[in-house]
Amino acid sequence: MTALKYILRDTWRLIVNHWVLGLLTLITAGVMLWILGITTLFSLNLEHLLSRLESELAVQAYLHKDSTLDIEEIAQRIQDLEYVYSIKIYSPSDSLAKLQEKMGSQSRALDILGDNPIPYNFEIHVRRAEDIDPLVDSLKAMPEVEDVVYAGMVVKRISALSRISSRVAVIMFVLAVIITALVVYNTIHISLYSRREEIAIMYLVGATRAYIATPFVLEGTLLALIGAIIAAGGIVGAYFPGMDMIQANMPLLKSSLLTDKAIIWRFCGLLAGFGATLGWVCSYLVVSRFINSITRPE
Amino acid sequence: MNINFSGVTKIFDPDIVALSNVSFNIEQGEFVYIIGQTGSGKSTLLRLITRELLPTSGVAAVGGFDLRRMRKSDVPYYRRDVGLVAQDFKLIPSLTVYENIAFVMEAMSVPKKIVAERAHDVINQVGLWRRKNMKPSQLSGGEQQRVAIARALANSPSLFIADEPTGNLDFHTAAEVMKILFAINASGVTVVMSTHNQAIVNSSRQRVIELESGRLIRDEKGGTY
Ligand SMILES: Nc1ncnc2c1ncn2[C@@H]1O[C@H](COP(=O)(O)OP(=O)(O)O)[C@@H](O)[C@H]1O
Ligand SMILES: [Mg+2]
Repeated sequence: MTALKYILRDTWRLIVNHWVLGLLTLITAGVMLWILGITTLFSLNLEHLLSRLESELAVQAYLHKDSTLDIEEIAQRIQDLEYVYSIKIYSPSDSLAKLQEKMGSQSRALDILGDNPIPYNFEIHVRRAEDIDPLVDSLKAMPEVEDVVYAGMVVKRISALSRISSRVAVIMFVLAVIITALVVYNTIHISLYSRREEIAIMYLVGATRAYIATPFVLEGTLLALIGAIIAAGGIVGAYFPGMDMIQANMPLLKSSLLTDKAIIWRFCGLLAGFGATLGWVCSYLVVSRFINSITRPE
Repeated sequence: MNINFSGVTKIFDPDIVALSNVSFNIEQGEFVYIIGQTGSGKSTLLRLITRELLPTSGVAAVGGFDLRRMRKSDVPYYRRDVGLVAQDFKLIPSLTVYENIAFVMEAMSVPKKIVAERAHDVINQVGLWRRKNMKPSQLSGGEQQRVAIARALANSPSLFIADEPTGNLDFHTAAEVMKILFAINASGVTVVMSTHNQAIVNSSRQRVIELESGRLIRDEKGGTY
């Protein structure tokens, strides 16, 4: 306990002594972690949106109007195709009922068609947007299938966007981590270097390496942690208003975005923990290297 | 803790032989002068004892323990039992006299109250209590020397190493420093000090180990310079 008090006092001294450098460090760490957090959230949102849309993706396959077809058997063959997630059979009368329901008051227009013109058809669900194209190809190759209708363009675009955005998020993640790590590493190295004599003397008169090292490691960890907390604050400050704006302008997206406050707060907590860990690892590395080189007997 | 050197040679890069095949044995409680001209290897010998240096060959042992084989994590605990007054004092410029002495005890997790008592004792012992809040740069050479001595005493070591502790002092100040060192020795602490001050060596007649170009050329009880 006594040692802890002395160590915390020395940590405080270190931070106060290099406060300008410390401030620059935590601002850099804060900005980098903010960028990391925002790009991650953006890409998470796209993925979330995509999975929403994909779950509603359906391909409609219409059969020839031919009463000799074995519907069950064809359904089974489609079910066995590679990309099919689920399949639902619609008889001509089911389809007509559905159509009438959709058209509501205008459904009487259908009466002039006389005979129900809609053939047997299947509503086929896939798991991912990329599965649509190959599925459509295999459906068209079936002689019983007359026509295939699908609306996959938007989803395919979002899918492509999501792929790009998750790649960008990974790059930003790596960049932010590297920059934060370098800045913390460098700051602690400067802190160590300016006290190299003191470190050597302390070791010479019997201070343990851990006692000497801990204030420096804490300095680095604390700077990164404070930076990460600032970043988390900045994310909360930017994210919720941003989401409100998007939802106001694009009501369609309403249920497809990550707006659960608890999730975002947990994300921010993770970010803070991540920042502190990063700071700890970097300063631990630089401190142990430095102290090793200074305390090695000739 | 007895100090045992057997066939110790220390060669610095590229090819400087600072000590050559030096052997001696110092028992607990002895007072020993290491004498010799500048460059004869006195500091090197003392720094081998504190384990700032390791021998190129031969064995340097303290308390029967080969210092080369000491684990890195044991070094601080060994050094707490060795009071060191370096030739260049090695005081921390940003700390006051009091803080310079207190931090050695703080590093050992000594509670604040006991640190204050002990610091008071050792600063008084070297007669510097009035200077306790000054930085080293505000002190004279003799005063800095005494701060270094007080710091070395703080942990109540059983071995006291002093590298030319009277180096740049006038005779009167040097005599005062010597009085402190004899008092330390009288309390049972082994004292090994290097010097090239003839008057001091001749006036007290202790054991003398003389070095010349890194070789031990004399080891005499009650010797003169
Ligand atoms: N770290 C070092 N690197 C290279 N040479 C050194 C080093 N320390 C001491 N020496 C050399 O070793 C010899 C002995 O030095 P030293 O032990 O300091 O002598 P003294 O203390 O008796 O004046 C000298 O020639 C000195 O230049
Ligand atoms: Mg010397």
